[in-house]
Amino acid sequence: MKNIVTPITDEVINEINVGDMIYISGYIYTGRDAVLPKIVKLIESNTLGQAGIDLKGSVIFHTAVSPAGVGPTSSNKLEIEGNIPALSKAGVKLHLGKGELSRKTVEELDKYNSVYAVIPPVTALLGSKILEQKPVAFLEEGMEALHLLKVDGFPAIIAAAHGKTIY
Amino acid sequence: MKQNEQVINKVKDALVQAGSSFREDKKEAYCNAIINETLPRAKWALETILENANVAERNHSPLCDDTGIPHLFLEVGPDRNITGEFLEAIKTGVARGLRELPGRPMAIKGDDNQRLDQSGGLDEDPGALLPAPIIAKPVAEDVIRLHVLMLGGGPAIRGKTYRVFHKHNVSVVTDEIISWARESVALLGCSPCTLAVGIGRSQFEASSMMIEAMVYGNYNVQSDLEKLITEKVNESNVGPIGLNGKTSVLATFLKVGPQRASGVRIVCMRPCCCFEPRIASVLL
Repeated sequence: MKNIVTPITDEVINEINVGDMIYISGYIYTGRDAVLPKIVKLIESNTLGQAGIDLKGSVIFHTAVSPAGVGPTSSNKLEIEGNIPALSKAGVKLHLGKGELSRKTVEELDKYNSVYAVIPPVTALLGSKILEQKPVAFLEEGMEALHLLKVDGFPAIIAAAHGKTIY
Repeated sequence: MKQNEQVINKVKDALVQAGSSFREDKKEAYCNAIINETLPRAKWALETILENANVAERNHSPLCDDTGIPHLFLEVGPDRNITGEFLEAIKTGVARGLRELPGRPMAIKGDDNQRLDQSGGLDEDPGALLPAPIIAKPVAEDVIRLHVLMLGGGPAIRGKTYRVFHKHNVSVVTDEIISWARESVALLGCSPCTLAVGIGRSQFEASSMMIEAMVYGNYNVQSDLEKLITEKVNESNVGPIGLNGKTSVLATFLKVGPQRASGVRIVCMRPCCCFEPRIASVLL
């Protein structure tokens, strides 16, 4: 198992391969259908920094944050997968979710030296590895607001990297 | 009132247990699947799911953030009485259990149209989620026993209830079930599955039989038909969370109900996710 700590550098990404089982630690964002398109709008309007969001070297975990905990939603939904390229271009290095991505998205990830990892829907285990959590943007979205989590050892597997996919 | 408070607390605890733990036969099924798995990433996925179950049980916390819709199955012995007040106590116990688990807030507010299009908004209280209509079954045992099941959204999306023309051949029916299951397990994303299948004379009956299959199903006691369905779906090699591997399905729970003289069987098939059936039972 490889340990990945945020912020993630290009050098770290270069050493990652499809099928690698990893532990993710550090600060990660959470966002899914409601909020990822809104983040991309901020990127396009060059106002991401004003919102206090720094995507450089980041991880975005495709989940809501509810009283029940966190767990991956399907990353191949349009509102999520459709925004992966723009988020990667803006600095997101690892997209964390579940399900197969399209060939086109796998190529876009490679273009921006980003990767996609799949995480099992293991809410209790993940909850035991969350050290801090707070909403940081789009609070009106409630559970689907952009959250920042501090995590210690989220288990995941690299499902797409350097133009290759596990599927 | 004291008696009702006992019922309420027992139901509350049963719901929390259902949402936070595996039964022993399910743990064994996972252990066996891990031993039999040769693909490292599939083994890793199974081990992580089982580790999650251990953590959830230890912490009494949700197995999955989709904590599910409460479904209730009540066994009633020959000399037992059920009143409206008793059923209300069960409903109150469910609400308290959802708050304690805690459940994910999922109840939509408003009138019929507002609930259909979700314009009524989300109720932030986890306890606002009403249970599905209760199923009551007379049993020979002198008990009132409640089984609480928590049914998540993924399997609901991928499940199917439809008619099958049997052509006087059991294989025709099982082949159709296998075909449905192979497609839905591949799409579910949260395998390995436990297939819950009910067969009846109407959509309601088939769904009820499916629930009964989940209540009485046992990973260590599988009929020939159940084993056949499991084996055939496992040939698809979907594997745990779609990563390939030997175990796409842990077991099949099948309940064949009464049938009518016709060319048709109504089949209800639910690809329960890697945590389901989430179930706990309590004597009331």
